[in-house]
Amino acid sequence: MRLLVVDDAPQMLKAFRDILEVHGCEVYEAANGEEALIKYSEVKPDIVLMDILMPRLDGISATKKILQDDPCAKIIVISAVGKSGLENECLVAGAKGFIEKPFKIKDLLNSINSLVKG
Amino acid sequence: MKGIESVRGYQEEIIEAIPSTIIVVNRSLEVLYANRNYYAKSFAKRERDVLGERLSRVIPQMLIEKTRIDDKIREVFLTGAPFDGDQLRYPGGMFYFYKIYPLKEGTEGINKVVIFMENITELTRLEEELRDSYVKLENAYAELKENDEMKSEFISTASHELRTPLTVINSYIEMFEEGMLGELTDTQREKIQIIRSQTEHMIRLVEDMLDTSRLESRKLKIHKSPIKIEEIAMKVLEELSRLAGLKEQTVSLTTEGRLSEIEGDERRIKQVFNNLLTNAIKYTPDKGKINVMIKDEPEQVRILISDDGIGIAKKDENKIFQKFFTGSGSSLTRESGRMGLGLAIAKGIVEAHEGSIWVESEVGKGSTFVFTLPKI
Repeated sequence: MRLLVVDDAPQMLKAFRDILEVHGCEVYEAANGEEALIKYSEVKPDIVLMDILMPRLDGISATKKILQDDPCAKIIVISAVGKSGLENECLVAGAKGFIEKPFKIKDLLNSINSLVKG
Repeated sequence: MKGIESVRGYQEEIIEAIPSTIIVVNRSLEVLYANRNYYAKSFAKRERDVLGERLSRVIPQMLIEKTRIDDKIREVFLTGAPFDGDQLRYPGGMFYFYKIYPLKEGTEGINKVVIFMENITELTRLEEELRDSYVKLENAYAELKENDEMKSEFISTASHELRTPLTVINSYIEMFEEGMLGELTDTQREKIQIIRSQTEHMIRLVEDMLDTSRLESRKLKIHKSPIKIEEIAMKVLEELSRLAGLKEQTVSLTTEGRLSEIEGDERRIKQVFNNLLTNAIKYTPDKGKINVMIKDEPEQVRILISDDGIGIAKKDENKIFQKFFTGSGSSLTRESGRMGLGLAIAKGIVEAHEGSIWVESEVGKGSTFVFTLPKI
């Protein structure tokens, strides 16, 4: 499975890579929304894990743009922002899932698996 | 107007005693009468200097020019309607207020008007002072509010910034524990346990900080659905049983009446139970008793969490629900690992459900925290 992880914190990207590679995923990284758009069209990943607050282009805008080009894109938003209503905003933007940081690895893997199957 | 009968015959004394200036003039604007207050305030001290004189000669020229009081008097004669008053600023910062009333005489119409004049300088000054203080107060309030918003914003940003590094740490702890990074020795496993519990503690502190800033900015949203209070209580008791077990405490749950489902935010109500019970466990000595009682009442569900711990002094019973309160005494003796947010958050959540929360306690004998949740 090919995953694109988008986060502006390098250590978070590294942690995602370590978690996901052990589970046999191919991991690609992007450090902001703009990079995510480029990487997405290059890699065509099965799933995107998207942070919200990032420089240049935020996660919600990036989600919308990716979905414009590829309406089938499967994006899970993973955010440190606990603002109420944000989850709904992400789902309206077309995200297929919403996970709050800090998450349990089990919950992350469950979300990914159910999205791949569904 | 029965009362007026009792003063008939005293009109003169009463008019003379009125602390305003009263002047009566005829259609030619000649003064027919001026009361005692007029003589007290003007240079004219004798009636013969005033009576029969034109109004313009007995009151300052300036006043006439500024107010055009003569025109207004003519207007009252013409229309028969009173002139209901105006304010006049006088040189030297004096303020006057005056009114003109027609005096009707039988069917003859109006031949006299009465002018009331009042020095309102002091009143105006007080009014201005009051207005100044009000503006200052409003500015100070706006400034305070801005500071408070900045503080809330800071807490919110800081908590968000802490969440990502905590997620990274937490992920690696999990990877170690799951054996994803190789087998661990028993010692390593034990130390990882310590890192885990400390990280979890840090995550809770960050969540509490966030909830506090949400409560302050009224952004704490309650998502209501039908909930079973008893089930929530049982879940929390189970999660905390290890903690109570360490202190060999007995924790029990009792119910009274047929408990019906109520509308509430399950996650938030769970948080209330968790905060209250964690406190109870913390402040109850080893081998102590903690009881959770859920009572069904006609309009609400009442939850009582009792312990036989150290209790709370009367003077602190309200303060404990304030944020950052961690018990009386100096800040140096406070227990570590607490920010005094648990009860403030519990109060905020209960109140967001339109319920109430309070404590009944006696020092040395224990405390009972009570909260209610309305059924509808």
